[in-house]
Amino acid sequence: MSEEPITSSLTIERDERLGKSWRTSSNRRRLGLGVAFVAMFVASLSMVLPFLWMVSTSLKSSKMVFTFPPQWIPDPIDWANYAEIWSVVPLGRGLLNSTIVTVLVVVIGTFSSTMAAFAFAKLDFPHKPLVFNILLASMMIPVVVILVPQFAIYARIGWIDTLLPLIVPGMLGNVMMIFFLRQYMMGLPTELMDAAKIDGAGFLRIYWSIFMPLAKPAVAANVIIVFMATWNDYLGPLIYTHSPKNSTVQLVIASLTAYYEEQTDFPIIMAASAIAVLPVIAIFVALQKHFVNSFAVSGIKG
Amino acid sequence: MANKNTSASMKTRERLWGLAFITPVVLQFLIFAAVPLTIAIVAAFTDWNIVRGSFEFVGLDNFVGFLNDKKFWTATANTAFMLLPIPFYLVLGVLFALGCHHNTPGNRIFRVLFFLPYVSSIVAVVVLWKWLFNYEYGLVNQVLMSWFGIQGPNWLGDPDWIKTTIVLMIIWKMIGITSIYVHAAMKNIPESFYEAARLDGASPVRMFFSITLPMLTPVLFFLTVVGIIGSLQTFVEVQLFTTDGGRNYSAGTVTYYIWQKAFVSSEMGYASAVAVMFGLAILAVTIFQFRMSKRWVYEGE
Repeated sequence: MSEEPITSSLTIERDERLGKSWRTSSNRRRLGLGVAFVAMFVASLSMVLPFLWMVSTSLKSSKMVFTFPPQWIPDPIDWANYAEIWSVVPLGRGLLNSTIVTVLVVVIGTFSSTMAAFAFAKLDFPHKPLVFNILLASMMIPVVVILVPQFAIYARIGWIDTLLPLIVPGMLGNVMMIFFLRQYMMGLPTELMDAAKIDGAGFLRIYWSIFMPLAKPAVAANVIIVFMATWNDYLGPLIYTHSPKNSTVQLVIASLTAYYEEQTDFPIIMAASAIAVLPVIAIFVALQKHFVNSFAVSGIKG
Repeated sequence: MANKNTSASMKTRERLWGLAFITPVVLQFLIFAAVPLTIAIVAAFTDWNIVRGSFEFVGLDNFVGFLNDKKFWTATANTAFMLLPIPFYLVLGVLFALGCHHNTPGNRIFRVLFFLPYVSSIVAVVVLWKWLFNYEYGLVNQVLMSWFGIQGPNWLGDPDWIKTTIVLMIIWKMIGITSIYVHAAMKNIPESFYEAARLDGASPVRMFFSITLPMLTPVLFFLTVVGIIGSLQTFVEVQLFTTDGGRNYSAGTVTYYIWQKAFVSSEMGYASAVAVMFGLAILAVTIFQFRMSKRWVYEGE
């Protein structure tokens, strides 16, 4: 959509007068794009180089990291860290625990959230606006305020040092997700529900076979966000779990770092970090388009 | 008559299903938000200690306690310092969004790369930064030395630098996500605004300041509010970068202070007092921002 055709068809006089400045402005535009490209290229490098350095370091032996000048492509490439790491710390256990927590929260939590969003958007029940507003207000409570009592509650019911505090609240839903999906579902025609009712469909059927498929893009977007937040969570595991067998992958990496830093064995730390980051980056790259949309959708309507 | 009956029972069924559908999230709210909040407010006035098992009313002692603790005030100042990344990542995010918006070659790939720091876990990112900013062997100081002949600072160990290191990392992590939000908002600005401006011979710079920027104020407001709430609660970075809040408590934030009191020294009542007070402060800041927003945020036709 270049500017020329639109304006030139409008006023011929202007066209003549501005003809010259247009040519220069087109050159300027090219120059502008060139400058923008260089700026974005440099900026992107600053985002990526640290990660490449992570991978590069992880492929070195522990002595090689101190060579100067820094070596970007290790010579020789040493995969030993990736083999060794599993026996050094319970990384496998951490990955397993993180997977259990993330799958349960994402799958069951998505059901809870979408059902609630459907109810708030399309069903009529007592005190609906009040309940919804209270839930919205609850998002304003800073985590730090309720952290201590939550810990005490989990301690009382024997959930400390289990994965339950990381799983159960998340399985019950996510208010942010409910909020955005409710907005989305309110935009879908209510007539669909009325027609289904006449056909004798129950509310569960209406939710599952009509509104869920229609809300798919918005659901997908929110699923990605919840997945990322759950997999990357550090605060929860830090406070509620202690023993290595209940550590999530983030906690394993953090404790590994604390231990190996003193020995400045950075290659093995980088290998572990690379393993922890990989699933999220892979999913992100694969679903990149949805991902970008997810933030676009959620950001603007709020 | 029969028809009326079925429609009445339909209404009842709708109400029941509606309530059933919201039950999980209501339970979540009651058990994991409402009850804890109530406990926090009550506990703020007690000497609650989970190890000693005490839970006695002590009036305002906790509040007097932390208001007279020098460490608390250091933490407050450090917390204010953590607001510093916000203007930087907003400006850089807008610039980057502009770059994407004008179809700069390669902008799709750039966008993906810009997101890497944000999708990576905070633990991995901090671990990576600790290595990059290592005083002796880190890439940053090596480059500073070999390219510019400058001896880089002790980013992690020097109390004067640790906060700056954290701020730099947060800027780095947040630019990508900021630009995504801003870029989405840019796409929503009607093209006709620009066409009209071009007819009047407006320069691109002029158009940016008279059209683009005002139209971006709602998303910038959203990002500022969310950014401030998040920055005020900076904790994980401090916990991962330092032990005991850094030398001279140089990086300890209020949330870190609360965490130490509650989970290191088990003073739950004291920690609750700080937390409740701090929660009210965050609420006040947020309300203030909404009040001020009328002066600078575009509200549409």
